[in-house]
Amino acid sequence: MTHVSRPILVLGVGLLALAACSGGRQVRNDEYGTDSARELTLRQTGSNSSTSGIVVFGVDRSREAQGGGGTGANAGGGGMTVNAFLWRATLDTLSFMPLASADPFGGVIITDWYSPPQAEGERFKATAYVIGRQLRSDGVRVQIFRQVNRGGAWTDAPASSATNSEMEDRVLARARELRSQSAGR
Amino acid sequence: MRKILLGTTAVVSAVVGAAVMAPQASAQEAPTVRIGGFFRAYYGYTQQTGRTSVTSTGLPQNVGGGTENIPGVAPSTTSTNNIARLSKSDISTDAGIDVIVSGKLANGLTYGATISLNSGGLEGRQIVQGRASAGKTTVAVDEMYAYIAHPRFGQVRFGDEDGVMGGLMNSGWVQGFGTGGVHGSWESFVTRQGGGRTMTAPGGIGDASKIIYMSPQFFGFDFGASFAPNANSGRDTGCPNNASSGYCDSAYAFSGARNFGIYAAGPEMAVKRNEIQAALRWRGNLAGVGLAATVGYIGSGSARDISTGGAQTRVFNGLNIWQAGVQASAYGFTVGAAYTYGDYNFFWGNTQRGDRPGEQLVVGGQYTAGPFTVGTNFVTGLFEGGSRTNWVDSTTGPLTQASCRPATPGVSNNCAGMRRWGVSVGGNYRLAPGMDLIAEWVHYSVREQGRDLDPNRPGIQSRSFSDVFLVGTRIAF
Repeated sequence: MTHVSRPILVLGVGLLALAACSGGRQVRNDEYGTDSARELTLRQTGSNSSTSGIVVFGVDRSREAQGGGGTGANAGGGGMTVNAFLWRATLDTLSFMPLASADPFGGVIITDWYSPPQAEGERFKATAYVIGRQLRSDGVRVQIFRQVNRGGAWTDAPASSATNSEMEDRVLARARELRSQSAGR
Repeated sequence: MRKILLGTTAVVSAVVGAAVMAPQASAQEAPTVRIGGFFRAYYGYTQQTGRTSVTSTGLPQNVGGGTENIPGVAPSTTSTNNIARLSKSDISTDAGIDVIVSGKLANGLTYGATISLNSGGLEGRQIVQGRASAGKTTVAVDEMYAYIAHPRFGQVRFGDEDGVMGGLMNSGWVQGFGTGGVHGSWESFVTRQGGGRTMTAPGGIGDASKIIYMSPQFFGFDFGASFAPNANSGRDTGCPNNASSGYCDSAYAFSGARNFGIYAAGPEMAVKRNEIQAALRWRGNLAGVGLAATVGYIGSGSARDISTGGAQTRVFNGLNIWQAGVQASAYGFTVGAAYTYGDYNFFWGNTQRGDRPGEQLVVGGQYTAGPFTVGTNFVTGLFEGGSRTNWVDSTTGPLTQASCRPATPGVSNNCAGMRRWGVSVGGNYRLAPGMDLIAEWVHYSVREQGRDLDPNRPGIQSRSFSDVFLVGTRIAF
């Protein structure tokens, strides 16, 4: 065994280093083989083991994704009145700013003032509105507010309207990403 | 204006920066605990040679009666006569419950654990205190492990689980029809006489407690490795006392080790030690055809036997196995083949020194259209038959090897190689997600020229075979 295990060890360490450097794709658990009778049966009968069974603790995300009787792009999220993907995507996109309030029923997210390290003389605040249960490109609106520091006092200043639409694009891209991840489960 | 642009750029770049540095920051998920399970019930009609109710004549491979190292129990004996056939019809049931924990951290790390309880895990070999102390449907842990996975660094599994070549990363094994074809549930209907089983498939090598690493996929490739210090699973050492017995999973030598090349389930005795597995897998698409290929290695050491004289003797080869497999899928069809070669026997056990290496070829194909799946697979292999080595105890020194050749010509002997082959045809109808109806037929044949595989009949029966036809249903949730 020793004469073969040594090159395998060297190869393994090399591949590990390569994997760590090259940023590969994460392999999901359902891409590995199994001899679990439950798992095999679920796979062969077109079911997903990560969404089957009963959740006895925590949030059942499979049902949440199917949420409120809707499926796919209409997935709203259990108990939510706005689209779950857009809601999460908005939270993700604005997560770099401190959050002041979030109302999942009204679909409103308001951040606190945030001053980017690159521009300490100005600060921003965002208000986002997630509209409706459907995953649509007009389902989110973001409004950026800007203030500049003049003589120690913060005063309102105009923000570029392109910033608003660029933030909305970021939210929509993230929502699309979440949706595709959910479809893969 | 320039300031406005600068400011807005700063805001957007902060968004982009956050996305690059912590792409999963959003997807944090609190842990969930999920309970699932399965149940299956099959009716089987079985024709099998040597299917009689006479006391077992012992297992044919590398094992004695399995009682030699248990204090106070005489070696197993053979009784003859009083033969009656076993029934050809039977119903086989099995069930299991899985508890699955999973969660995700803000830094992208996913984690979880699986505990799989199964009611069919205790058949094992006929061994004193194995079947005698637990019912056939006693629930036992099949697999239990925890995992931590990172998008960049891959996944580590720690616990009782198949290794990377013991089922996790193999390619070429087409078993997604019926109950698995030649590696499916037909084995629930045959006796172990003549060794008519096909355990040398992924999942058969066992869930010995191990640590497993599996890499992310890059350029279509992913790889993995696993290590198990011994053949056992579960907690504790298994040692009933301070003696170095076969029950001790950490014993590197014990008396009677020569009988445990193959697992003795229940007590879970086997001589396998320091098992390593390594696998390299590639998956991709060529012109719309999904392809997968795996090359892998399984190696191990083995525990030594101790003679009455107290001398340790190396009676087994370590596992030293290579396997390569490929499969292709397109338009509902899947075809695959896997070839395995090396020092192992047909139960993934260690071969005794002097035994020939084993080799096995598996080919299969299946087709899925709507709720229907049909398929076939075929396995053929050449293994060591009855062991060529007969180890003789010694009161003064190490165990010694005796010849497998009988003193009298024409008497059953252990010198034959073993040719095994099996073929299956099966189909499923998916009644509902998670539930299907199954029909399957399997033929399996074992041949050892000159070795009597059915001692209850006059003469030397060099061949044994099984035919099983089964129908039934299974459901998973």
